Amino acid sequence: MNSFRLSKILVNTITYIILTAFALVMLFPFLYMFATSLKTPNDTFTYPPRFFPREQSTIELDGYDEPLPLYFVLANGEKKEYALVQSGIPAGVYADPNDLETAFAVPLAFVKPAIGGGEVTLPDGTVQELMDVPVEGKIMQLVQVNRTALGRFVDPEDTTKEIYQVVRTSEPATRITAHPENYIHVLKMENMERSLTNTILVTIFVVVGQMVTSVMGGYAFARLRFPGRDKLFLFYLGTIMIPFVMLIIPLYQLMVLFGWTDKLASLIFPWIFTAYGTFLMRQFFITVPKDIEEAALMDGASRFEILYRIFLPAAAPALATLATFTFLYAWNSFFWPLVIINTGNYENHVLTLTLNMLRGRASDSANLILAGAAISILPPFILFILGQRFFIESAMSSGVKG
Amino acid sequence: MHKDAESTNITRIETFINIVTGWHFFLSFAGLILLFFIIFKQLFSNLPSWLMFIGTISIIFLVGTSFFAGIQLRKRTRVGRTISLVINYLGFIFSFIALLQVLGVFLGVDALAKTFGSGIGWLAGVLAGYLIHAAGDQFHFRIQIEELFRKIGKYIALVFFTIFLFRVGLIKALIYLGKQIIIPTNLMIAFLVILFGIAIWLMWREETGIYLHRNNAQTEALEGYLFLSPNLLGFLIFFAFPLVFSFYISLTDWDAFGNSNFIGLANYLTIFRLNLKPLASATQNFIQVMDGSIYSELLRFNLFGKYFVLGAADARFWISLRNTLVFCIVTVPLSAIPALLLSNILNSKIPGMKIFRAIYFLPSIAAVVGISLIWQWLYNATIGYINYFITLGLQFINSIFATSYPIALIRWLSESRTALLAIIIVSAWQTMGFNTVLFMAGLQNIPKELYEAATVDGAGRWAKFWKITLPLLAPTTFFVITTTTIQALQVFEQVFIMTNPPGSPGTSTLTIVLYLYQNGFQRFQQGYGAAIAWVLFIVIFAVTLLQFRSQRRTGAYDV
Repeated sequence: MNSFRLSKILVNTITYIILTAFALVMLFPFLYMFATSLKTPNDTFTYPPRFFPREQSTIELDGYDEPLPLYFVLANGEKKEYALVQSGIPAGVYADPNDLETAFAVPLAFVKPAIGGGEVTLPDGTVQELMDVPVEGKIMQLVQVNRTALGRFVDPEDTTKEIYQVVRTSEPATRITAHPENYIHVLKMENMERSLTNTILVTIFVVVGQMVTSVMGGYAFARLRFPGRDKLFLFYLGTIMIPFVMLIIPLYQLMVLFGWTDKLASLIFPWIFTAYGTFLMRQFFITVPKDIEEAALMDGASRFEILYRIFLPAAAPALATLATFTFLYAWNSFFWPLVIINTGNYENHVLTLTLNMLRGRASDSANLILAGAAISILPPFILFILGQRFFIESAMSSGVKG
Repeated sequence: MHKDAESTNITRIETFINIVTGWHFFLSFAGLILLFFIIFKQLFSNLPSWLMFIGTISIIFLVGTSFFAGIQLRKRTRVGRTISLVINYLGFIFSFIALLQVLGVFLGVDALAKTFGSGIGWLAGVLAGYLIHAAGDQFHFRIQIEELFRKIGKYIALVFFTIFLFRVGLIKALIYLGKQIIIPTNLMIAFLVILFGIAIWLMWREETGIYLHRNNAQTEALEGYLFLSPNLLGFLIFFAFPLVFSFYISLTDWDAFGNSNFIGLANYLTIFRLNLKPLASATQNFIQVMDGSIYSELLRFNLFGKYFVLGAADARFWISLRNTLVFCIVTVPLSAIPALLLSNILNSKIPGMKIFRAIYFLPSIAAVVGISLIWQWLYNATIGYINYFITLGLQFINSIFATSYPIALIRWLSESRTALLAIIIVSAWQTMGFNTVLFMAGLQNIPKELYEAATVDGAGRWAKFWKITLPLLAPTTFFVITTTTIQALQVFEQVFIMTNPPGSPGTSTLTIVLYLYQNGFQRFQQGYGAAIAWVLFIVIFAVTLLQFRSQRRTGAYDV
């Protein structure tokens, strides 16, 4: 019994490990997107990559107008955060003539020619003067082998404690930050704001339009007998699998004929009459019991009244499923807008098109591009959290046999 | 009884029917005159030929049916009413759409989009009104409160919607429409709409119906077509017609500007034109064996010690076909097999299952464009996470096993060996969760009793998976594989976004749809592009058929 329980725990643990691993793989790109979209431009170029947005910590010290950046320095063998008060101090690199390997960088101002020092000839043939160099509190007689620039760092708690070291190789002290203003910035770029409203408008039209035509068509197929109905329905079914790519060129020509190229109308009207939506609604309406409808007909109700008062309220879940499906399609579509809305006509761009433009214009600002990507990805995610059920059902309904 | 009233009634109906009869003869006659002008006087000859063809056919059809309707109406038959209603309804719809088009209503969407941003906030008020309306349901035990909520909700929504309409420029739009409609040609179309409308009203009336012996079947059929008509008409115009039209385009050398010549199957011949020639040596120059102005080199190979070279008139097409098939063959199992595994784990009623399912589903609802942008940065050679993780992994392995695998930064998207693989990974990642949900739906259809019976018989986990789950899941598996394959054969957006220029490096990520796009919309050889679309369709059809047959052979159980 005990070993059974143990093996069960083991199996469960392995199960959760597998599931979590996959979940991480699925989530990581999105988490990366959000984290990066909050970064400063410099922060996106660090290697090794840092996940969370970070920036230089600063501190305000008396006597300095601007906040001072903090760096890690070695003070008495301890790693401490010091503030950089001055940088670019001219300095020399000094070493013992007999041991050129261990060198010390010291500001030129602190160095004096050694009393009675004289000159030394180095192995490479250059002649250097011996200097008195203060190193860790002691004065040493060294020669200058190179020049550099140093930064002056002070202890924020006791500004008399000073340390000089090379700024470039110092490890900056950082803290986690967030720059949500990236989103505002990107909305102001490349017509993003307008394309967001365009996308919303197009999506509303397509979703509402498709629901109306699908509900009416689905009702006709499910409940009304007319000659040729079943053949027509088979025809509808047969076309569901036909890929959109087949239509792209003739539909483009049709739009040219209508004068709808570059116009939002071309993103709306061709997409509100679908076989799939009609099929989905028909499948649902066929399950509604007939007796209520017949009673209503007896009472003299018209077909429109029956559809509006009896079928529509019952069809709320099916409608929501259709709406989510259509929403995703309209919101995410890229190929058709790319073809039909000219690159030059910014006014009528939708989000995906603007993102494509942004990719070229801001190619080195990962933070801005990914903020743009987040703007296009977030609305479906929010809707998904609100109505997860309908998304899952719309996925499953595409898998119904038939 | 009311003899007089009845007889005046009948005279009225008779007059109405006579009016409509006259209308149909008039329509027929007008159509004939129009035909005469089109054929002999070159009216509309500046329109493209295919449009002339369709227009002429529909006018002939109108002349015939309208004449027939007139004759039937004179005989006062039921059929006459049906045909008359159909003709007038179609006339009404098409002239109404034409009116909207000439008034600029469809293009008005652009103007709406311009002002939509300033009114969008008010739509939130409409939503709030709806929510209040819906909240009334909570009080179904107190009918007054329920009614109150609904009323308030309705008014709030209405008020906010009105404000919204004014904000986005309702008045401006109305003024514009008013100016447009007084243009004489527009006024004529509006008049036509009204005429068709009146004809419908005269025929549809209860009295007319009864007088012309309508029955339930006729009413139901008319209502059926009425309900289906918005969808059916739109479907015919925006789907069925383009589908047929696309085949016609593929037989021409159409460029996007409307110039076209019929060239028969020439486009298809160019696509499929191949030539195989033996080579004297492995490195012999291609132009020495084949006409370089027609063929370009596709591949060389060695067969039984002899070298051959294969030339194609359109080598890029064959390369794109190969890339697409490779993409498909790797992506489909890569997204379906993990999905099968995950769905089986998730199906075992463990706590937290819904959360995992939701997480797996996320990638499939995000825009491909957005996802491609994310992965483009993940694939970045110097600062991307993919290389970073690989580096970490190699360092770990090297330190554990004391090996020394070299750590090189892979330039995923700009090296021809890895570019296609990079895109495969993204696509598999994106479709996996969706497939998991599909498999879960299939698993729920398998009767639990089967597993219980198998457990009683002492079957283990694996035995149950192989003997029950897999065979009974076959229809779902078939569906998953088919849809994923069809999608994979159309891969475009990922390539377009992630590789720069699309299809690079070289031709290593050139896919069929990308090639179609380049032909149709960058080189504007739309005839050739349409032909590529049909070849792709045949490939998709063949693959589906193949999978369908293999599913039949393995004998999927129908559950």
